[in-house]
Amino acid sequence: MKVAYYSPMPPNRSGIADYSAHLLPALRRRVEVEVARPGRHPRADVRLYHVGNDPDAHGWIVDALAERPGVVVLHEHVLHHLIAGITIGRGRGKAYLAAMERELGVVGRLLGLGVLDNLLPLLWETRPQDYPLVGTILDLATGLVVHSRTVEEAARRHGYGGPIWRIPHPAWPHPAVEPADVHGEPLVGCFGNLNMNKRIPELLEAFARLRAARPGARLLLVGASAERFDLDRRLERLGLAGDPAIVREEYVPEERLWSLIAACDVCVNLRFPTMGETSGSVLRVLSLGRPAVVSDVGWFSELPDEVALKVPVDEFEARTLAAALDLLSLPAAREAMSRAALAYVRREHDLDRCADRYAAALEQAAGGEAVADAVLGEVARAAADVGLPDAELTLVAGRIRESGL
Amino acid sequence: MNVVVAAPQVPFARGGAEIMAETLVDELRARGHEADLVTLPFKWYPGTRVLSQALLWRLVDLDEADGRRIDLVIATKFPSYAIRHPRKVAWVLHQFRQAYEYDRTELGQFSESAEDRATRRAVERLDRVALGECRRVFATSHNVADRLRRSVDVEAEVLPHPPQRLAYRTDSYDDFVLSVNRIDRAKRIDLLVEAAAAEPALRVVVAGDGPDRARLEQLARDRGLNGRVEFRGRVGDDELVDLYARCRAVFYAPIDEDFGMVPYEAFLAGKPVLTTTDAGGPLEIVADRETGLVTAPEPAAIARAAASLDEPTARAYGDAGRSRAERVTWDACIERLLAFA
Repeated sequence: MKVAYYSPMPPNRSGIADYSAHLLPALRRRVEVEVARPGRHPRADVRLYHVGNDPDAHGWIVDALAERPGVVVLHEHVLHHLIAGITIGRGRGKAYLAAMERELGVVGRLLGLGVLDNLLPLLWETRPQDYPLVGTILDLATGLVVHSRTVEEAARRHGYGGPIWRIPHPAWPHPAVEPADVHGEPLVGCFGNLNMNKRIPELLEAFARLRAARPGARLLLVGASAERFDLDRRLERLGLAGDPAIVREEYVPEERLWSLIAACDVCVNLRFPTMGETSGSVLRVLSLGRPAVVSDVGWFSELPDEVALKVPVDEFEARTLAAALDLLSLPAAREAMSRAALAYVRREHDLDRCADRYAAALEQAAGGEAVADAVLGEVARAAADVGLPDAELTLVAGRIRESGL
Repeated sequence: MNVVVAAPQVPFARGGAEIMAETLVDELRARGHEADLVTLPFKWYPGTRVLSQALLWRLVDLDEADGRRIDLVIATKFPSYAIRHPRKVAWVLHQFRQAYEYDRTELGQFSESAEDRATRRAVERLDRVALGECRRVFATSHNVADRLRRSVDVEAEVLPHPPQRLAYRTDSYDDFVLSVNRIDRAKRIDLLVEAAAAEPALRVVVAGDGPDRARLEQLARDRGLNGRVEFRGRVGDDELVDLYARCRAVFYAPIDEDFGMVPYEAFLAGKPVLTTTDAGGPLEIVADRETGLVTAPEPAAIARAAASLDEPTARAYGDAGRSRAERVTWDACIERLLAFA
């Protein structure tokens, strides 16, 4: 059985490219895989399309999906940015309106017109979570792979009736890394692009509170600042400008990233709104047995309580986060979470187990319909031969359904 | 208590699984329970037939039997545990091995076609559903329990069962090694035949019948062993007990076997077991140089092991094995099974 695999790949710098680079060798040990390139469609029994929110990385993949439907790995369920990029971004405003109408009917179409006429702010920047536009992709998917219950439930809410396989995001193997030479008591890390979505203002406020109680605390911020996010001004406002307690690194290579995570006592990964995404950063943190503090939303909420402290997104967010960081300043609390994190990652996010589940999903997707036809055909012939009445046929159908046949 | 034992049946085939199911019914009755064996024929080929045949079990209505409540259903092999009952336990001898450990080996049945791959996955899915419904899943060995955990995430309690009830005895330690098995490739009796070719003093008696018999007989002829490897075919209980009573040792080395009653039978006759490092379930009771010999799965190693077993050594290992086998009783098995009624 052969799989055509559509995904951004390194050197593309997206999390999904990293994901595929990590998954593919394990998947290739189980099924034959050919990686597709833009404009090239390998012959295959089943096609697997990785869909994320970045139109530059995923536009060609959606085009291919539209030509040859297949199984979609839905990395997030809010896809407004992607849909806007491959419609408005390509001068196809009508397609954007159709996507909006599919999701919200006439109201959606009118909102879309407002966006096209510059009468409304760009919805993918201001309120994407309210208009996910995932339906366009769901219409094309013969099956879905998701990483979380959050995305699975969202797909069902949007009326998706096909098969869904929930496959956890594989974690990276625990690398033997030397912690970077950065210290704090405690050292709090935050990894990934710095923007409003990651709740950096709330993190900075919480850290200022923590530092008032624990002067040895330091905050390590790793990742590029978003265009319209002025980190320096925010630090200045909190009296942290130029403070050695703030350690800043921009984009770092993978090896340095691991080494910095290893140096941290606790890592913070807040998010709101969530697009339903799984965080590769959080999985790296847990892979190294570091306690995580996350927002109590989406996939992050699904993490077990013993591996991550969850901060509700409300008016007390910064205070709650400060309290969580204060608690995790205690080595005993960190040790218990560290053990739990390592066990959790081994149990739920093991690469081989994830690849096994992918192989199972792809094999079911490729041949499942033919198998169902064959079995149902045989049962139907037998039922017809004995003249099975409707009530008994219903019973037989029920038994078939519950057996997963 | 009214208990149904559910087991599939392959017409004209009879082996350890059939004996186990029948014995379980007998042992339940001997303890005052109403027990019956429910069976359906099983054919697992071609194509998707394995699924439609499994579905037959799903359609069996055992909610009650002519007004009598059924307190417990004990299902054994695939696909009998697909049966639907509120008080069901599975005592798994093995899953449908072609879909698991035999897959992509010469013993498998599923090709690389999309339909075959999906059929295999449907078997896997059915196992998850059917075993997931059980009040308790038991496995006859750690090997089977490990496979259940690895393949379908089902936790099983290990519950080995005693072998068939025969009048086992020890008469002598004659100069032959006995093989008791259905003769098919997975049982690897050819290793023993080749061992006889490598060791001129080794004499072999093969009891049992099966699809690989003609090939093995030809192999023995090709190696010029006609006088030293004797094929007895299917033997009756008395003859089997007699062979156990007189042999020097019993060879039992299927590849990655589930459990295997043969080592228990050998031990109850006071005989050591020759097995191999990749035999699976038998390794749970055959301890090297304690109750038998465990060698590499190579004829030369098996030949050396057989030649090293003088009578006192064979007797010592056999006695140690007997004391282990005697600890596995029907009383204990039935108490565990009925605890989930």
